[in-house]
Amino acid sequence: MMNRRHFLLAATSTGLISPVGVSAQAAPIAVRDLYNKDLSFSDLALSLEGKEITVTGFMAPPLKADGQFFVLTKKPMSVCPFCETEAEWPDDIMAIYTKRQFRVIPFNVRIEASGVLELGPLKDPETGFLSRVRLTAARYS
Amino acid sequence: MKTKFAASLVFALSATTAIAQDLPQAGNTWFTDGQAAIKAALAKQPNTSTAKNIIIMISDGNGVGTNYATRLFHGQQNGNYGDENVLPAETFPNLALVKTYNVNAQTPDSAGTGTAMMSGVKTKAGVVGVNENANRGDCASIEGNQVLSMNDIMSAAGKATGVVSTARITHATPASAYANSVDRNFEDSVPEGCTQQADIATQLIENLKDGTIQVAMGGGRRHFIGKDITDEEGKTGKRAEGENLIDMAKEMGAYYAWDQATFDAAPMDGSAPILGLFESSHMKYEADRSGEPSLAEMTGAAIKALSNNENGFFLQVEAGRVDHANHDGNLARVVRDGVAFAQAVALADELTNDEDTLIIVTADHEHAIAFNGYCGRGSDILGLCMGIDGAGIKHSNEALLAKDGKPYTVAGYLNGGGSVLREDVNWVGARPDLTQEEATDVDYLQQALVPTSSETHSGEDVAVYAKGPFAHLFDGTVEQNYIFHVMHHAATAE
Repeated sequence: MMNRRHFLLAATSTGLISPVGVSAQAAPIAVRDLYNKDLSFSDLALSLEGKEITVTGFMAPPLKADGQFFVLTKKPMSVCPFCETEAEWPDDIMAIYTKRQFRVIPFNVRIEASGVLELGPLKDPETGFLSRVRLTAARYS
Repeated sequence: MKTKFAASLVFALSATTAIAQDLPQAGNTWFTDGQAAIKAALAKQPNTSTAKNIIIMISDGNGVGTNYATRLFHGQQNGNYGDENVLPAETFPNLALVKTYNVNAQTPDSAGTGTAMMSGVKTKAGVVGVNENANRGDCASIEGNQVLSMNDIMSAAGKATGVVSTARITHATPASAYANSVDRNFEDSVPEGCTQQADIATQLIENLKDGTIQVAMGGGRRHFIGKDITDEEGKTGKRAEGENLIDMAKEMGAYYAWDQATFDAAPMDGSAPILGLFESSHMKYEADRSGEPSLAEMTGAAIKALSNNENGFFLQVEAGRVDHANHDGNLARVVRDGVAFAQAVALADELTNDEDTLIIVTADHEHAIAFNGYCGRGSDILGLCMGIDGAGIKHSNEALLAKDGKPYTVAGYLNGGGSVLREDVNWVGARPDLTQEEATDVDYLQQALVPTSSETHSGEDVAVYAKGPFAHLFDGTVEQNYIFHVMHHAATAE
């Protein structure tokens, strides 16, 4: 039986967090691949800045019905109205500025978005939403 | 052959009814382990010393099912099948099952359950530190209905007290240690005209100021600063413009920590109250943590700082994000925060003495999590349910298929974001096909049925584990408010 000292030792020596595999550029990349753990931009993100890429994730419920952008999250955006007064945006998200007005996809259906990768803070003039990573001229499926 | 075996069995039973060693299975490891467990159970002696210190450790949303998932995950990470793993609290000598409902809710929330544990009375869902006569959101109804918490009572008895959480320190469970509020959401403000109570962050600062609480660490920085104030990580606050409770705390002599470096430099000699606010909102999931202390680190620091009081201490520790990951339907993060909680429990045990410290480990409620069958030993708790190998121990390495011809995971949720029903096709759905790689991804959401934007709590029982003075009072099935009464008795017993 494991005692508490063994438990502490085992826990500290175990890599509990799987390293995130970085997808090849040919395949869609995940939102999380654009960030390091400290939320700085990953080498992959820096290498792809200004290039057309395809990212897989989930469409968060749009902030504005007829807006020009939506937020792509790494996992379905869950909102607990009983527990929280507002949506808790994760830090590692990206804004998808579409070529034309977009059709809302249910928040729990995985999509792929393609567009030109932009890095750096930008406040959306219409909604005030601050994004750090964006796809522009984007389309999605 | 059968007759011969039966005859020898009769002989064994008649000759030595009470001597287990004569049974044919006596050499089996399971049998000898069972005999050793009996010996240990018979040697147990109740500890009736007065508790100098009490630590209650609450893993939010960690019911019996969720705890089972963490037990298996931790064991599998350490290279065993998972089932045989023993989490630190599971070595404690005493336990009970806990009924968690709120007085007006079959499915409880953390505000009502926190109040039950911290004050000894069950109350309504969504309220903190008030009895059931107060109504959620109705400020006028707080008059005459406030209750005192264990922190209040232990502080009045001369002990140091603290509260630690990976959620916002103003969130429901930690708030139940120090606040009286008719709504858990009054974290940084109260509605216009509400003059009967202050917001929850203000109440925490008042508790630090009057010495009721000496250590408060968690997330929630945004509730302590105004909308016009930017914090150390570039995020603005939620309070009215110009309000800065962090500055107020510093001016009254508190040490303020906001990241790993300032945490590491915190005074451990009890010379100053400690206010740690490590995120704008909740602290990070353990799977994503960077630049801020773990729950175990915060627990260890709190115990060291509070131990300076010669009369002892009371500490509430919450693993707040086990609940949040369950709400996300994302078991991969649930179990990683579950292991972080287990590490905090092990450290609290390591740093204290069973003779004078009562440690209680529990949850406030369970979630709508459930487990499929019939999976073979060693099936990844996050992954696919593999078949049983009739000729061996480990699973068959072949995923079981449901009637739709698709594999399914060991764990699932009854509702939540992982629902297989789709809004865009009139809430009809089919289970997606699934690989082991997809199912064990850290961002994977286990499949669910009922489509809700957030997976829900459930009213199912949770366990309470205990060791130290009067831990033996935990036995059977108890109401959640009973936990307070054990703590109170242990601290005040002559």
